[in-house]
Amino acid sequence: MDDSPYWNPRHETMPRADLDALQVRKLRNLVEWADMQVPWQAKRLRDAGVTADTIATIDDLQRIPPMTREDWMEGQLEDPPFGTNVAAGKDLAIRYHLTSGTTGRTPIRVLDSMKDWEWIAEMWCYGLWGFGVRPSDTVFVAFGYSTFIGFWGLHYACEKLGCLTLPGGAMTTEQRVRQIVEMGATVVCSTPTYALRMAQEARQLGIDLASSPVERLILSGEPAGSIPATKKLIQEEWGAKAGDTAGMTELGTIMIFECASQPGGTHIIEDHYIEEVLDPITDRPVGYGEMGERVVTSFGRGFIPVLRYRTRDLVVKVPAATCGCGRTFDLYDGGIRGRVDDMKLVRGTNVYPRAVEALVREFKEIDEFQIHLYTAEGRRDEIEVLVEIPDPDADGDRILSDLARELAGAHEALRFDVRRVEAGALPRFELKAKRVLDERTVIGSDGERRVQA
Amino acid sequence: MTMKNVAGEELSEARGKLVECYRTLAHVLMGHRDELAPFEERNALKALAALWQVMNGLDMDPGQVYDLGA
Repeated sequence: MDDSPYWNPRHETMPRADLDALQVRKLRNLVEWADMQVPWQAKRLRDAGVTADTIATIDDLQRIPPMTREDWMEGQLEDPPFGTNVAAGKDLAIRYHLTSGTTGRTPIRVLDSMKDWEWIAEMWCYGLWGFGVRPSDTVFVAFGYSTFIGFWGLHYACEKLGCLTLPGGAMTTEQRVRQIVEMGATVVCSTPTYALRMAQEARQLGIDLASSPVERLILSGEPAGSIPATKKLIQEEWGAKAGDTAGMTELGTIMIFECASQPGGTHIIEDHYIEEVLDPITDRPVGYGEMGERVVTSFGRGFIPVLRYRTRDLVVKVPAATCGCGRTFDLYDGGIRGRVDDMKLVRGTNVYPRAVEALVREFKEIDEFQIHLYTAEGRRDEIEVLVEIPDPDADGDRILSDLARELAGAHEALRFDVRRVEAGALPRFELKAKRVLDERTVIGSDGERRVQA
Repeated sequence: MTMKNVAGEELSEARGKLVECYRTLAHVLMGHRDELAPFEERNALKALAALWQVMNGLDMDPGQVYDLGA
């Protein structure tokens, strides 16, 4: 079966009508399970008049009230430590994980049973197999193996596939790069930021990664895996194909993956999830090609039923036919485009960090960057982009002025101050990069003004 | 007699045998747990958790198995 491009050929190529029927059936089962096992879910469902036997079509999903992260957090406060949305006893769990906490908020805590943990690996198998990873591969996982769920599921998926799996935890970047080369890894898994960081380290060590056996990079944890300029840079540095994936702790695993055709987007694993895209203001569904917020329903992890969870992720759904791989799973064009709350309003102009990164990465000479927002003269928003250009022979002045012009051109002539800082001055990241430093004391437009403590 | 999934599709003989395997495991864990040594019980559970994925992928709607310990 190694020659099949699909992990589950029947489901991945299923006609749309059959896929819809499968989703309705699984939705009914999920509602029945949540109603029976989780009093908190049962109340929400009953209050909305939803029972399993009233679900007849996919449109019935709309009758279920969406669940937010705030609901989840309230549940954890009400019934600590795991909250009110738990369908089985802790004694049945074999894993405990947390969200990464990069937003500075209290983390979400999750539990998984043996079957759920297998399912988590199963979802990664869709992505790994779909991008061309096979049992003959040697996979290096550049990940810290902590309570943050990150690449844990990927690790077990690699074992399931029969790959030689190298756990790259508790290592310096130099040790990781050396082991990748010494062990002849053919697949490397990391965040996009860390893939670039390893490439940078390899250059300093005099190692040419492009001539190493690495053929594929599996990227996750940041939207950058689908930013064309960032991806191009990663692929050039490594001489390998880079495939984007995205998941979340609330689901335990990935819900989208890029296939080997690299269509510029990520397929939704639609036999295990229903992914809706809603207007974040009106909550109305948006059509193909329109940006909106992801709302996910997961049929996988029974321990914590996820019904219409508002993710705050911004996406643009496009039909399956956009990709030529033969899958009938729809895609998110450009992967995860950002977060609803990522957007910064600067002197009346919307600034998305992803859009800034897309322009910065067009300049290969720039190794690292940071977006810095501050308040000038106690009242005016300013934005500057700090960049590292380590090559002393690079034409720094030209790069700075070109980048400033391009940033302004893409942001309604908003003035960006682009400054060069010393090489190594900006923070480096192993997991999710945090490149926006917002130090404004007065933020946004009149309606949003607030003074930070 | 050929086996069908919940969508009414016939399963091949090989897939039918995997389904039987899963059902046998579930049956043993449900009714004969006390007779199993730790190594038998825990490995059977792990196998059940893996075969559950097959059942799910074949549209056999295996339900939840927390009551079996998986």
